[in-house]
Amino acid sequence: MKLRIAILVAALPLLGLFGDPKGLTVFIVGLVLINMLLASGLNLLYGFGGLIPFTFAGISGTSAFICCNLVLHAGWSFWIALPVGCVAASILGLALSFPAIRLRGFYFALSGLVIQSALTIAFIYFPSLTNGDTGITSIPRPTLAGQPIVSPWLEILIATATVLTVTGISALMRSPIGSMLIAIRDDEDLSRALGINVTAVRSLAFLIASLIAGLGGGVYAHYVGFVSPRTFDVLISLNLWLMVAVGGRGTLVGPLLGALILTPLPFIFQQYTWIKDVIYGGAIVVVIMFLPAGLFGLLQRRAS
Amino acid sequence: MDGYLVVAASVIVSGVLVGTIYAVVAAGLSLIHGTILMPQASNGQIFLGAGLVLWWLQTQAGWPLWLAVPAVIAAGLALVFSLELLVFRRFYARADRSITYLVVTLGLAQMLSGLYIGAFGRISDTFSVPPPARGYAFIDPTPVSNARLLAFTAAATVLCALIAFLRLHRFGRALRAVFQNRDVARLRGIDIISTYRLALGLGTAVTTVGGMLYAVAFTLDLTVGWTMTLITFSIMIVGGPGSVLGALCVGLVFGFTQAIVSVFADPTIATFAYLLAMLAMLFLRPNGLFSR
Repeated sequence: MKLRIAILVAALPLLGLFGDPKGLTVFIVGLVLINMLLASGLNLLYGFGGLIPFTFAGISGTSAFICCNLVLHAGWSFWIALPVGCVAASILGLALSFPAIRLRGFYFALSGLVIQSALTIAFIYFPSLTNGDTGITSIPRPTLAGQPIVSPWLEILIATATVLTVTGISALMRSPIGSMLIAIRDDEDLSRALGINVTAVRSLAFLIASLIAGLGGGVYAHYVGFVSPRTFDVLISLNLWLMVAVGGRGTLVGPLLGALILTPLPFIFQQYTWIKDVIYGGAIVVVIMFLPAGLFGLLQRRAS
Repeated sequence: MDGYLVVAASVIVSGVLVGTIYAVVAAGLSLIHGTILMPQASNGQIFLGAGLVLWWLQTQAGWPLWLAVPAVIAAGLALVFSLELLVFRRFYARADRSITYLVVTLGLAQMLSGLYIGAFGRISDTFSVPPPARGYAFIDPTPVSNARLLAFTAAATVLCALIAFLRLHRFGRALRAVFQNRDVARLRGIDIISTYRLALGLGTAVTTVGGMLYAVAFTLDLTVGWTMTLITFSIMIVGGPGSVLGALCVGLVFGFTQAIVSVFADPTIATFAYLLAMLAMLFLRPNGLFSR
């Protein structure tokens, strides 16, 4: 049932594809789908694992920079560079899951903020890889048989990747590992007493979530064509977290719904980029105060 | 040889100045977090806002300094107490409130940062307040502008006054009692919620003063709020939440680090060092160096 709703939400932005393939609507659809992918990955850690990973954007950015450097400077194909970026991101994510072994709640979130800020500074200070604050421009689109994939088809490809990812997360959460992850979120000490290997299960969640972050980052770089250290700074982590929280944490539909609602918002006020910060910042406060279970949680409560 | 002496002296002078201003802002943050357990991530934006409003009042509205300074402090307090009324007070009773406050105040910080870009971004990229004092003083062998000397003196005075208030005044002692042991403090008849509000007001007032002193001594830009948030969080975690003395000592160390690094390389690299220090401290001793 839930999976059907998930596919429905994922299919919703595809409606926007029936339009000018070079137009803004199609571009926004692509961004919505990428954010759905990223938010679903973050949801695995926050919604199902109970940890707020503020390092998420940094992990994603690592993959994006590796991926577009391999394509632009080493002349690799996108289809080989993307898995390399994903593997690098998951290794980094696994390494950065180390604080989760010792730190809980607030201290874990704070360590994430610190690591994310350090990653952003690192991105700025390796200009040979990231071109510093200017960023890397004109990253080519993914190619198929030598030709760049044109607009509606690339979005449909991203949609397929998103649906497959969500299906994968759904399968994972129905497996014993998913139950263990939720058990750890709800009561860590009890889970440990029941013989669950808390560190192993959490590390696995970090590995998978970072893989998804890497996938999203690499696709983002080659879809938008521009990345800079600011594309993956702490506010992006915060806003991906917001998508999960607005939609409904710990559900499959929640992050999809959140990305669907929040991604197009900044495009309404294109001339005033600062309004995005005001809206997203205000949404964080509203969600924390009034919507602890998110919009999907609200809908579910209404239904029952 | 003289050249080295001049460089060394200027490093010491600017290290002390930067360090005391860091210490003032970090003391404000540390008071709030130490008492309420609220990691106020928008404190850096309040710091920046104070500097920006002072700049606006002085250069655009033509207010004199003696009127602008109290107006900025009052505006900062009005902002933070309306936030207290609308948002903060809902979570006072929660046991796991730190994480909630961290996320909420990050949201507020993003909002404020967006508003500053909208309001001030169109006017200029950098903002420097006209110096309240002209000329230079010679602290052998480096010249120091009188405005910076004034900023340093004011920052040092604020820190001394804060330490004296916390040690000697009845309300200050109540504050320290709450961050040492809130259950015992309640049993001894201290009104916890009023103490929280006192800490919030005092911390914010100190932060706005820090922002104005920074604006007088240096030049503001719109990203300095985030940088200051990172630096003051590092100082607070390393020094120990709730400890003004910790904020002072660690602030000075950080200021010197910044000054020394600036001689050889970009000062942002110093931020990297602070972040590593904070991370190490989170693992080794989350209560900080100067906790009781």
